[in-house]
Amino acid sequence: MRQYCIILKYELFSLFISPATYVATFYFLSLLAIGFRFFIESFVYTDWILPPLSSLTVGLIFGAPALIPFITMRSFAEERRLGTLETLFSTPISNVIIVIGKWSASYLFFILISIMSFGFPLIMTILFPEQGQNLGFNQREHWIGNALFLSIFGASFTSIGVFASSLTKNQMVAGMLTFTLLTLYISFMAFSFGKNTDKSENNLGNILYHSFNSIINGLNKLEHFSVGLIDISTILHQLALTLFFLAITSIQINRIYR
Amino acid sequence: MSAENKPLPIIEVLNLRKKYGNIKALNGISFSIGKGEIVGFLGPNGAGKSTTLKILSGLIPADSGEAKVCDVDLAEEEGEVRNHIGYLAENNPLPEDLRVIEYLKFRGLLKGLQGSRLRERTKVVLEICDLERKISERKIGNLSKGFRQRVGIADSLLTEPRLVILDEPTIGLDPQQSAITRKMMERLRGEVSFLLSSHILSEVEACCDRMIILSHGQIVAEGTLFDLQERFVNKTVFEIVALGNKINLQKKVRNIDSSCELLLDDPVETTGKRRYIFATKNGESVAERIVKVLVEDAKLRIFEFQITRPDLETIFLRATKENWDKSDQEQRNKIKKGHRK
Repeated sequence: MRQYCIILKYELFSLFISPATYVATFYFLSLLAIGFRFFIESFVYTDWILPPLSSLTVGLIFGAPALIPFITMRSFAEERRLGTLETLFSTPISNVIIVIGKWSASYLFFILISIMSFGFPLIMTILFPEQGQNLGFNQREHWIGNALFLSIFGASFTSIGVFASSLTKNQMVAGMLTFTLLTLYISFMAFSFGKNTDKSENNLGNILYHSFNSIINGLNKLEHFSVGLIDISTILHQLALTLFFLAITSIQINRIYR
Repeated sequence: MSAENKPLPIIEVLNLRKKYGNIKALNGISFSIGKGEIVGFLGPNGAGKSTTLKILSGLIPADSGEAKVCDVDLAEEEGEVRNHIGYLAENNPLPEDLRVIEYLKFRGLLKGLQGSRLRERTKVVLEICDLERKISERKIGNLSKGFRQRVGIADSLLTEPRLVILDEPTIGLDPQQSAITRKMMERLRGEVSFLLSSHILSEVEACCDRMIILSHGQIVAEGTLFDLQERFVNKTVFEIVALGNKINLQKKVRNIDSSCELLLDDPVETTGKRRYIFATKNGESVAERIVKVLVEDAKLRIFEFQITRPDLETIFLRATKENWDKSDQEQRNKIKKGHRK
């Protein structure tokens, strides 16, 4: 646990001293703020069926391919380029702790950006309480559901980024790979939006098929999460996806250095 | 060193083998290193030096064989060895963004140091490696190669290890910086065992108690400089700096002593003079007779003469040549077999 904390602290420090992270965060939050402002202004004229707060969640999910690469591309690619991963392995530390430590730092940074973005409706509610109430910003379950949805998808997105970073020594290539993988994943989710999965038989094949579909149809569950209905299976599926990518990252690192 | 005086082994390696695909990096090497010894690991590129050092540091596993480092069996507890040793990787990779003091604290924490012990050890290694005050506050990315190397060595000494493994510690350093590294090892002589690989033979000659010469994944020579001199060039070696025709000089030498062998022939800067190193079986008196005859020759001008012992470079070339010839022959035989098929 102590070693995990040391790696986490070091990785967070590396993220905070990197100018690329600040530039990406600034542009991302600025665009999100502008988008949110226009959405709130035109909300009454749209046929948006979810609570207005979930527009931020959707913005963060669809903006993730542009944001996550800046957070995760450094983690392993930079260490591989400099060769410092070998020095890290010369200490009594396991590669699993290194992978989890690096991923946790990226994940916490994503959570931090999400918290900052949720500052927009919060500020609006403080400054204009009546409008805030009309838009449902005073509903606690909306906040909890959206935050949970973002945190579970953030976990799997950052694990995909960390995995991409372990595949190459070049940060730019790692970033582009993360962008491609996340765009593909989100495209699948977007195209499968609204489709129902059949769960008639309870055999292993059907369960696996249903699980895969549930991962692909993750966005469908935003309907539930955004009003405070927590879907445990979605949490478990995203957790499994996160663990899968962290496991293959660990195998990849092991393959290179040991 | 007699058997009674031999220090207790800190490294014991028996029949270690490692393959990368079809290439045999290590072909059954065995050796041991005693407590407090400074041992130089020599060999041409691709000889298997770095592979051996990585195996002994617990970074990569061996395919077969036995290795015990600081009483830890690498086959059973590969990771455990990292608690007992200091390791400086080849090219000394370091993070560019951290300050020296931050990096050493980070490494100390990872190695299990904390609180006052961490502060005390950081101070000690900064002092040993001459990195105190301003240097310790500078970013690693802004340091010169020499200082970076010292940061790497300071890191390897952080936990007071019993054994420090240094892979090419002085590569790319100027003579002054190399001397500082040597001084640091001298300071710790007896307390810490050092196993270092290097291409700079004069350096190994100056600071190592013993040398192990590797070629094609095999140990081709092992021992003190004196042992190696006795084994590989068991003759009287003398050096002549002269101006004149090389063939003429060699002819004259052979007329006096037909067994005399020319080991090395190097130009001396741009003066036109050449340095010749000869070896004779017939002792110092013959060497002196040779120089007397050469001095009297009007066509030759002799500037220097001295009876020396062969240096490590001569020994290294002799030790590895045999192995190179053998593997060349094996390679040719393989190609021939392939053609016949």
